[in-house]
Amino acid sequence: MADEVRQFKLPDLGEGLEEAEIVSWLVKEGEEVELNQPLVEVETEKALVQIPSPYAGVVDKLHGDVGERVKVGAPLVSFKTSSDAPEAGKRREVLVGYGPDEGASRRRRRRKIGRAEQGDVEVEPEPEPQPEPEPEPSRSVPAKALATPPVRKLAKELGVDIDGVGGSGKDGRVTREDVVAASEGRGAGQPAAVASVTKLEPVQRRGSTTEGPLEERIPVRSIRRTIAERLVRSYSEIPHVTEWLQLDATELMRLRADLTASPEAEGGKISPLPVLMKALVAALRKHPLINSSWDGERNEIVVKRFYHIGIATDTDRGLLVPVVRDADQLSVFDTAREIARVAGAARDGTITPAELSGSTITITNVGSFGMESGTPIINFPEAAILATGAITKRPWVVGDQIAVRDVMTLALSFDHRIIDGAEAGRFLRYLGDLIEKPARLFGVL
Amino acid sequence: MPQVTMAAALNEALRYSMRNDPHVIILGEDVGKLGGVFRITDKLQEEFGEERVLDTPLAESGIVGSAIGMAMYGLRPVCEMQFDGFTYPAFEQIVSHLAKYGFRSRGRMRLPIVVRIPYGGGIGAVEHHSESLEAYFTHTAGLKVVTPSTPSDAFSLLVRSIEDPDPVIFLEPKRRYWIREDVDLKPNGLPIGKAAIRNEGTDVTLITYGPSVRTCQEAVEEAAADGVSIELIDLRTLVPLDLDTIMASVRKTGRAVVVHEAQVTGGFGGEIAARIMEDDFLSLQAPVIRVGGFDIPYPPAKLEDVHLPDLDRVLDAVDKVLNY
Amino acid sequence: MEGRRGIVDPSSVPTETIQLLKPDGTLVPDTGYEADLKKDDLLEIYRYMALARRADLEGTNLQRQGELGVYTPLIGQEAAQVGTGYALDEGDWIFPSYREMALAMMRKIDPVDILHLFRGTWHGGMWDPKEHRFAMYSVPIATQALHAAGFAIAAKLDGAKTVALGCFGDGATSEGDFHEAMNFAGVWQAPVVFLCQNNQYAISLPLSKQTAAPTIAVKAIGYGFPGVRVDGNDVLACYVVAQEAVRRAREGNGPTLIEAVTFRIGPHSTADDPTRYRTQDEMDHWGALDPISRFSKYLELEGIITDEFKQKVDDEAKELATHIRAEIVGAGPRPAHELFEFVYSEPSDILRREEWLLYEELAGRDEEGD
Repeated sequence: MADEVRQFKLPDLGEGLEEAEIVSWLVKEGEEVELNQPLVEVETEKALVQIPSPYAGVVDKLHGDVGERVKVGAPLVSFKTSSDAPEAGKRREVLVGYGPDEGASRRRRRRKIGRAEQGDVEVEPEPEPQPEPEPEPSRSVPAKALATPPVRKLAKELGVDIDGVGGSGKDGRVTREDVVAASEGRGAGQPAAVASVTKLEPVQRRGSTTEGPLEERIPVRSIRRTIAERLVRSYSEIPHVTEWLQLDATELMRLRADLTASPEAEGGKISPLPVLMKALVAALRKHPLINSSWDGERNEIVVKRFYHIGIATDTDRGLLVPVVRDADQLSVFDTAREIARVAGAARDGTITPAELSGSTITITNVGSFGMESGTPIINFPEAAILATGAITKRPWVVGDQIAVRDVMTLALSFDHRIIDGAEAGRFLRYLGDLIEKPARLFGVL
Repeated sequence: MPQVTMAAALNEALRYSMRNDPHVIILGEDVGKLGGVFRITDKLQEEFGEERVLDTPLAESGIVGSAIGMAMYGLRPVCEMQFDGFTYPAFEQIVSHLAKYGFRSRGRMRLPIVVRIPYGGGIGAVEHHSESLEAYFTHTAGLKVVTPSTPSDAFSLLVRSIEDPDPVIFLEPKRRYWIREDVDLKPNGLPIGKAAIRNEGTDVTLITYGPSVRTCQEAVEEAAADGVSIELIDLRTLVPLDLDTIMASVRKTGRAVVVHEAQVTGGFGGEIAARIMEDDFLSLQAPVIRVGGFDIPYPPAKLEDVHLPDLDRVLDAVDKVLNY
Repeated sequence: MEGRRGIVDPSSVPTETIQLLKPDGTLVPDTGYEADLKKDDLLEIYRYMALARRADLEGTNLQRQGELGVYTPLIGQEAAQVGTGYALDEGDWIFPSYREMALAMMRKIDPVDILHLFRGTWHGGMWDPKEHRFAMYSVPIATQALHAAGFAIAAKLDGAKTVALGCFGDGATSEGDFHEAMNFAGVWQAPVVFLCQNNQYAISLPLSKQTAAPTIAVKAIGYGFPGVRVDGNDVLACYVVAQEAVRRAREGNGPTLIEAVTFRIGPHSTADDPTRYRTQDEMDHWGALDPISRFSKYLELEGIITDEFKQKVDDEAKELATHIRAEIVGAGPRPAHELFEFVYSEPSDILRREEWLLYEELAGRDEEGD
């Protein structure tokens, strides 16, 4: 139990006060104090109060003399205290990542702002308006164009700087006509030019096949940015290894056809995914290390005895990972319904942050867009991610015969710090066996 | 010029008004001997006596309702509501009588009453002590609604509000009570209903008031570092609203963001956005974006910083209108 | 005032205060009241008072150390709360203001769950009101008196034998809601007991400026039910008076207003400075009437309490303080998504959108480490 020096900072003594004046010290440097022993008398804008000691220990230093004003948050007393005294103001998990420090009231800026489609443009201040002898409102070009939103949209699409277009409409408004004319490089009201071709000219390009500017810059924002950061973090922090297993999924396809036909399916189509998920849970129970995470701070591996399966889902907002919680406690039918529910909620934006966090392992179904397999990146901070490939008819050796079978490939990317290659192989083989002979699932679930 | 806090400036404004006009009286809970829980009425009872600084029983409806009777008699009462969240018992008197008396009496009986309310969050207070209730009053015809953001404005606007012939709801941003600035403690002729341009700019108009002004000033500085020029308008008065200043600015920038602590739904920002849209549709290069708190009861202190509009939320909105 | 026929002079109203224990711990003779308390009950009452005082002190300390935003101490009012609370049955409901920690602890509420309100962890408190039959704390003055009245009216309409206790202070008697609560309770003859802890001050305002009535108890007469004034620093008197009021309510004889005359030894809240409006003489006067030392003396004189028992309670109080400190110091905020979870039974579309906005803002904080 080592002694350490702790600083006690002047707390906000109530309702947003910013400072207090030291009226008298009730302890001396070097003095031993008990928990809650009065240390100092201070006066705020509102009251004269005594502040009791938050620690038991020896006073190391008094910060400030009598009569001095101390700002809230500035050091008041330093203590030598045993290090098992509770420490206030730890950072705590909030919704995602880390919340603010206790008492931190303002976030710092995250990123630069400004127009994404332009570089840093020097904006000229508006010139002083000059009196004009005879104003021509219908043809004047104000510094900022007057235009309705649809016309602005059109200008954007055609790559026309609307502020530079003279408005021919009511009160100098820029019209659709004006914008189209400007994009064709003619003034409003001029007829469209007729193009002519002469034989001796070099071969004409047919004109750009794209509309608008030839280069587009897409600002990286919100979800896209979060996805990018999480992937980079996962890939740079976790030593990834991927192993593949090709297997015969014919029985699996039969099983899902039976399930789909049964009344409990309530007319819904049961995809292979819920069955795969149940097989995954069974395999995780047998190989608990795969359902874990690495805690580098404490040098521990955290093995989870609960099974929250993330489903990598493609949405308008980008890649999201809704979570099927406690997948071990769901029937195949309920699993199917739950997958449909959370994936649907992720796609239509009604999902809650709570439903997007807490997965212990993730499945990415690359088969859903026809891919055979891939090398998925682990959903940080999990230990593994399983990619399930497309199930397609292939020649396959059964006994000594070649038969046409439904074949699929599983790929498992795993955290090599936690899981050795052999362990991953055993896990994948066990999972593959369950899928090839799904009847075994009844034995283990 | 002396450096004074907003709390001290308000205290001086009350003192100045009471010395100037013997009809001005103060009434509220703990305003006398204690000097108010925020010390805004500090030492006024010592100077003016218990006949002019009245410690009332604990009853907000009683304070405003009896002030109405006193005003009918010829006094100019200044009422203190101890905290925003304790104003609601007085709501009946404010809405049914204070706001409407002049109208109902065909202008024969005006009520020159000021109701002072410390409002807004950000001070780590317990519940009912951090409400932003301005929209209840801006939605009530017959009330003027004033909310300063600096010590200097607090002084001048409170003096003007007490002189005003109509009832004024005077909202004091309590998280800014202890900010200091140089104040000339003399009325400077600043009228009710005139907004201040706190920063001139060309790209985006940022419109705010009360406690959010300081946050927006930080946003202006941060944006400038990124080459974005923000025009910052501090409304100072919500009713009557200074449309001229707002529209002139939006015509110049073509983009507007409105910021307040109150929840967005039904908040005063919606009124400003609608006015801009109705009066200046053609100038708009982007929709008007409202930045505010969430549509939730004001949260517990440990979560107030995720609720309150902060620098980042304001800058995100500025970015959005710039890239619309 | 002329004593004309038909004109009632307030000064003719009886203003006696019921007392069983003198400040020196000896019994007042011939009161006509007898507390039906066994030895174990008396020791339990002592224990509740001592534990409440220790928990309360920790609340004040934690605020001064920056762990709570504000705290409203109850020191000095232990007898009024514990004496009254001891007369209730398990199934009865309590409607507190914001200074009822002793009553809450009697309802098995962990003081930590109360202090979390003052820490700004969650509003109202962290306990389940149904489980403890103890409503959420209520900060707007007098508002909870109506809840107690309404609850009692509902119990009566239902034919249940449940009693409601509504707690408030002297200042609350000036609010319109107080009047409305009394009147409703009277009209329905509801099974409710109103406990007014008259601690002499509403923040800085002394009772003499709060009301011109000779006592608070007398106000009940105007609503058609009895009022009684009791020495609020005498736990036995508080108990016998409450017991009678609870019995009347349970037997269908309607409400009672109890005025427990006590003193707020501490500030109104930790943000208040009572030296601005109270004299040292007054503090000394009330200090000598301390409810715990008075009851402790009585138990010693009667030979009911031992040093051993006192030590045991003292140890338990220390343990409680350690527990409170361990749970509160450095406690983190609630997860932010809860802000959206409890506004309605189902979040609206707009709330969902706002939750997303917050989610994205927080996600952006990830790399900051601020």
